[in-house]
Amino acid sequence: MTSAEQFKILSGAPAVRLSRLKIVLAALDPLRVAGMVLFVVVWQVLTLGLPAIILPTPLGVVRRLLSDFLSAPALSYYGVSEANLYGNLIYTTENVAIAVTIGSAIGILAGLLSARFGLIRAIIDPVMMTAGTVPILVAAPFLLIWFGVGRASAVCLVIFYVAVILYVFAQRAATNLDPVYEESARTLGATPRRMVRDILIPATVPEILGGLRIALAGAWGLEAVAELLGSQSGIGKVLEVLAGATDPQGIMATLLMLGLTAIIVDALAAFAVARTTKWNATAL
Amino acid sequence: MYNPANSRMIELVHVNRVFQRADGQMVKAVDDVSIVIKEGEFVCLVGPSGCGKSTLLQMVAGLIEPSDGDIAVAGKEISGPGRERGMVFQKDSVFPWMRVIDNVEYGLKCRDVPTAERRDIARTYLERVGLAHVEKAWPRELSGGMLKRVAIATVFASGGSVLLLDEPFGALDYVTRHQLQSVLLDLWNEGGSAARRTVLFVTHDVDEALALADRILVFHSGRKIDDLAVTAERPRFTDSLLLPEMVAIKHTLLAHLGLEKRAAPPKMAAGERTGS
Repeated sequence: MTSAEQFKILSGAPAVRLSRLKIVLAALDPLRVAGMVLFVVVWQVLTLGLPAIILPTPLGVVRRLLSDFLSAPALSYYGVSEANLYGNLIYTTENVAIAVTIGSAIGILAGLLSARFGLIRAIIDPVMMTAGTVPILVAAPFLLIWFGVGRASAVCLVIFYVAVILYVFAQRAATNLDPVYEESARTLGATPRRMVRDILIPATVPEILGGLRIALAGAWGLEAVAELLGSQSGIGKVLEVLAGATDPQGIMATLLMLGLTAIIVDALAAFAVARTTKWNATAL
Repeated sequence: MYNPANSRMIELVHVNRVFQRADGQMVKAVDDVSIVIKEGEFVCLVGPSGCGKSTLLQMVAGLIEPSDGDIAVAGKEISGPGRERGMVFQKDSVFPWMRVIDNVEYGLKCRDVPTAERRDIARTYLERVGLAHVEKAWPRELSGGMLKRVAIATVFASGGSVLLLDEPFGALDYVTRHQLQSVLLDLWNEGGSAARRTVLFVTHDVDEALALADRILVFHSGRKIDDLAVTAERPRFTDSLLLPEMVAIKHTLLAHLGLEKRAAPPKMAAGERTGS
């Protein structure tokens, strides 16, 4: 084998590395950076004509985030159990992590089963489709009645949301899988267990992980809103308290932190997707 | 491998298959077909599309069940797919999420052959089909012809004594198709006539059947309408297809396919061209 041939055939590996580099470069795209700068400049200009109580300055928001991150004694006066931002961020992150784990497990399992067994599909589809069309937030008051203002009600809400999204994604991925792969595996002697482990799961992973990223993005917002409606700690609780205290600078600092966290988690998820679906060019 | 007692390698007895169409009408895809295929025989199934040849092959593979009748392979009645029967599909069936070598090994993995041993076998067959240099590649990096080579290596590596091929080269270009025909024949022939596997090869290409088969079974409307022996020496090159006996078989096949009456193409009137 000549080295030219080798390069031509195995160029997949460098291509993967190249595309990762592209992801990093895309984040530092000059146009994107310019867009961010423009946003901050417009914001700064607007603060010149508006009072700080309506629109705080960008620098003020960043300073506020840095100072409140480790210690914000004011929060304890309003009944937030953690008197700093990072503690509340951890609380919210934990809830999102728990809810996404449980919700995606339920959604993926139900979705894959429903795609392969007509009976299961007939039973689950109406429930999931109804749940998918109703704005999930309307369930929040019920959950507050059932579980109180602890973790459970917010987590339940997010589990519900994540499960519905992943149900749809997993079901579609398995339904769209070309039957030739399963037929081929059967003729090669694959047992039903192998069919699930070697065919169904790896074939549907790219699409399911795509759904997981979408669910994850929504989960942050839903968790924060659920905390806003009733909770003792968490980012949502902080926002509620700061709104009550008419503190736009604090609210924007908190939102900035939540936004940055969500972006970082999404970037990690994107990296994980690219790693686990190397075989699928479209997922890179 | 050869065992005279096993001369009835594949046996179909009064096999029927009925499908229900979406409009509720019942359609007979395979209509009372009985065939005996000897061990080591290379049999092509030919017929117009919708004649039931693919349905028949899928029944022998165990992917669909006959509505009526019996199918036995190596003297045993089949129930579902079995490791003694390997199948190559018309569509690309190479798993995109496994590297080429893992694809070729998969049949052996399913029967718990130890890792080192199955890797050796897979490498041997990848080499035979000319793909030793891409064993670590992902299937998406290969061309359609290369994917077919992987599929062929996979069924040979899996070690089944019966190979079922469902229009495997139908979607390939002329040159690739001919290259793959000789790859297939070389692998089939490599151990001498005693080691040959039994092959059932579905095709709609008359020349492909003439180039490959020991025997051509012709189907029409679900029925077996002819059974032609092809005795020309292998390898069969372009000139082999011009031997009088081959030309005679080709005429018969074309007549069965309803093409013979157009042997002298009618002159096209100028007005008819605009429609095409």
